[in-house]
Amino acid sequence: MKKFITILLTNRTAQLVLFLVYVVVTTASLYLAEKSVVAFLLLLLSILILYFLKIKTPLKWVIGLLILGVLLPVSASQGPSYQSYMEVATLVGIYVAMALGLNIVVGLAGLLDLGFVAFFAVGAYTYGIFATGQAANFMPFGTYPLSGESFWVFLLIGCFVAALFGILLGIPVLRVKGDYLAIVTLGFGEIIRIVFNNMDKPVNITNGSMGLASIAPPRIFGIDLMFPNQFYYVVLVMVILVIYAVRTLEHSKIGRSWKAVRENEIAAQAMGVPLVKTKLTAFAIGASFSGMMGVVFAAKQTFVDPTSFTLLESTTILVMVVLGGMGSLPGVILGAAVVTILNLQVLTEISNWMNQLNINGVLSIPDALSPVKMQRFIFGALLIVFALYRSKGLIPAKNRKYDPEQLKQTKGKNSKFLFLSKEKLKAYEGRENL
Amino acid sequence: MNVLEVTGLTKSFGGLFANSNIDMSFEKNSITAVIGPNGAGKTTFFNMITGVYKPTSGEIVLNGKSLVGLKPDAVAKQGIARTFQNIRLFNQIPVLENVLVGMHTHLHANWLSVLLNLPQVKREEKAAQREAYRLLEYVGLADLLNENAGNLSYGAQRRLEIARAIATKPSVLLLDEPAAGMNPKETKELTKLIHTLRHELDITVILIEHDMKLVMEISDQIFVLDHGEKIAEGKPYEIRNNPKVIEAYLGKGAVALA
Amino acid sequence: MWTEVIQTLPQVVIDGLTLGAVYAVIAIGYTMVYGILELINFAHGEVFMTGAFIGTAILLTFSGIGWLAMMPAVVVLIIVLIATSILTGFLGMGIERVAYRPLRNAPKLITLITAIGISFLLQDIIRFIAEIKKGNYIVTGPEIFTNKIKLDASSILPQFQDASFKSTFLVVIIVAIIMMIGLDFFVNRTKWGMAMRAVAQDRDTAALMTINVNKVISVTFFVGSALGGATGVLFAIQYGTIDPYIGFILGIKAFTAAVLGGIGNIRGAMVGGMLLGMLEMFAAANLTGLTGGVFGAEYKDVFAFIILIVVLIFKPEGLFGKAVIEKV
Repeated sequence: MKKFITILLTNRTAQLVLFLVYVVVTTASLYLAEKSVVAFLLLLLSILILYFLKIKTPLKWVIGLLILGVLLPVSASQGPSYQSYMEVATLVGIYVAMALGLNIVVGLAGLLDLGFVAFFAVGAYTYGIFATGQAANFMPFGTYPLSGESFWVFLLIGCFVAALFGILLGIPVLRVKGDYLAIVTLGFGEIIRIVFNNMDKPVNITNGSMGLASIAPPRIFGIDLMFPNQFYYVVLVMVILVIYAVRTLEHSKIGRSWKAVRENEIAAQAMGVPLVKTKLTAFAIGASFSGMMGVVFAAKQTFVDPTSFTLLESTTILVMVVLGGMGSLPGVILGAAVVTILNLQVLTEISNWMNQLNINGVLSIPDALSPVKMQRFIFGALLIVFALYRSKGLIPAKNRKYDPEQLKQTKGKNSKFLFLSKEKLKAYEGRENL
Repeated sequence: MNVLEVTGLTKSFGGLFANSNIDMSFEKNSITAVIGPNGAGKTTFFNMITGVYKPTSGEIVLNGKSLVGLKPDAVAKQGIARTFQNIRLFNQIPVLENVLVGMHTHLHANWLSVLLNLPQVKREEKAAQREAYRLLEYVGLADLLNENAGNLSYGAQRRLEIARAIATKPSVLLLDEPAAGMNPKETKELTKLIHTLRHELDITVILIEHDMKLVMEISDQIFVLDHGEKIAEGKPYEIRNNPKVIEAYLGKGAVALA
Repeated sequence: MWTEVIQTLPQVVIDGLTLGAVYAVIAIGYTMVYGILELINFAHGEVFMTGAFIGTAILLTFSGIGWLAMMPAVVVLIIVLIATSILTGFLGMGIERVAYRPLRNAPKLITLITAIGISFLLQDIIRFIAEIKKGNYIVTGPEIFTNKIKLDASSILPQFQDASFKSTFLVVIIVAIIMMIGLDFFVNRTKWGMAMRAVAQDRDTAALMTINVNKVISVTFFVGSALGGATGVLFAIQYGTIDPYIGFILGIKAFTAAVLGGIGNIRGAMVGGMLLGMLEMFAAANLTGLTGGVFGAEYKDVFAFIILIVVLIFKPEGLFGKAVIEKV
């Protein structure tokens, strides 16, 4: 047995083969036993397993995209639960993107933002206002509602508006000491919600607590996208773009400046890193992901109201980041998936199961303790347990490994950047190392 | 030629004068030591030069440009780098990346060019990484490039701070108690490093130090602070026998004994 | 418009003092913990809320077994206050022991996260206990001190309108003042108080002076939480109906009050609380009028947050605090 496991852990082909078998089995079971939530979850789990396999990264991406882009939707499509599966998958995608945004702020830059949902709301309302007749109340030009074709442009607009709000919030707030930042961002999240809830007089901008209904769904090539399975692909593409963006930023000068500010503000400043600008950039970029997803959310639900944007939402996203691993890209994706699925499927399933037990007289658990209602308890417990015992999260952040052989090459003759000029280089290379 | 000139520099906190009316000038490529008993105001002095504190009055001129009122990151951009009394490294990121942070002001990437993955950004990044590696070789930390900075030994951490400071390509390097906690062997290596880098890298060095052996060996000139005031300046042998200095460190009785 | 402002002034003052007293005592809890641990105890609002529920539970039990009718209201009040404070005091102490002490050397971010976690946990625990026992998480307690008193303000100045208040207002104010005076005495005149101030200023030196730092921190949490819980009882008596989510908003406002007065400064917290309570009631009563109908009383929460942000930007040390310069 032990030998088998050792082979498994080291031999690439063995891993790949076993993995493919797993994927085929779960795909088939989902295809055949369509109602099986377990099969659905197991297929999703394959992505996590894929992450840990020892095969080359480009291959992993290809396989992953195949599973998410083809296998999953197709195998889930047999039967009535199709749309609900796609709905879950779409929501996972939306939350993954938002959690990645918060990860930049909390995980990379070390700024505790407890009001992150405010940017989501900004994005959602930006699209919502213009995609319903609402904008006619105050816009002096244009005809509203705008058609669903504007959705694609609004993805970018939502990005920018949210980033703008991020900057506006950041400018006063980021000069404030770390501990206070948490409370202030929390306050801001609440302010946005209260303001949106009351912006129906004197000029009706947000329609107050009644929310905005009949928001135009996205339209492409004349087709309205109304079903979860269609949104799924939109979100999938967006998540891929977001992952790309986060990775490139993290491994650049910008990502380093965030981490430097997180680790030691004073030293970072002394090395020339502008504190406020760096923090604002983190805030703005994180906010823009959230805003973009807000637009998607509004278009998907076709209805937004202030109750979708509460502190519980902000905390949920924070739980995703903490649970998954602050600063860790794969960790946060896992965290977002776990929490969303927990919320949407697992808790409901357990509740149903417990109801069954109740009805059959096996156990009697009062309704007050029903898992669906126990969200706060579970989140609170998760936060505490992880903060105390596994503060690095499920998949801790891993640092990049540099290859010294690559770095030793000195053929950078066009690098006017060389501090140690060629002559000095020769001078000390001959010297004894310290 | 004076690369850095400080005139009338004063810092008061409420009624307490941490620095009073300090005049100092630093020649290019010189090594100057600022010494004095604890609480004399040495770190306050450094903090004013690096923009952490705003001077109550006085002037700081680097290569003809005034530094007063500049924030620390702007000061770093002008060409002043420093290390810290209580080591301030970026503990959770690798050694190489610590040095790369030092290059921040010399890299021209911004969020847009990064996202677009422009070729000049990639080239710049590659060059920077090679440069950082060379700096690590220079201070003898090359094999540790992938270690988290927080895991390094104390002496290695001090050397990393120096490498990171040099990465900013400064004209002036401020070292705040660089030998604190080092054993004699490490101090010897540090002395060698400071000696070589001033000419090889064309840097002017100012250090705060308590290790008198190091100070006497390495300095071209010494400034002595006590209770916020400059009480003596001169060459090492002049300072060694200066009664005011002895009194400041050891008290009045010691002067009589000297 | 201004006539309305002046007319309603007496009522505003009374409501403001009531609310302010609540803010003041809760703010003390925040400021004490921040002074000693440099930690924002997010869970403190929930400790207050738990106190409100414990107090209400005791009152309901009393009324159930007929004691409420038998004993004079003051006696009932004292029993409830003491019992609740002791229980919430231990709750606060327990929270520190379990969740904050192990993280003493961890980065601040992690401790804040734990605090939020406890906040959520408490909210839900109280919720399901209330739901199980009463079928709903919104609970109304029995009324004690039901007299309504009228303040003949118009006899002071003819422009004032008469104000009225329940006798609970007097109870809240008096108890709050007693607690604040008691705490002030404790912190400034007793050995424990001195130990607390020492640990707040310089933990290591205090330890060198043979002060048991952990014990002092525990006591700080006990006292702060006990006061917070007692305030919860006062809140329940004053407003009658409570739910598990009152701690959250109130907590943030009380924290704003603590910051306004100068974080770490106990007397400052008291002043900050009263001030904030008055400002908030003033805004609630007059915002519609003053802004010509643009912003109504719903914005009074926003008002408090804006005060917080403004203070933190322009005078982060608050009214009575000292600016702290970080050592480089």
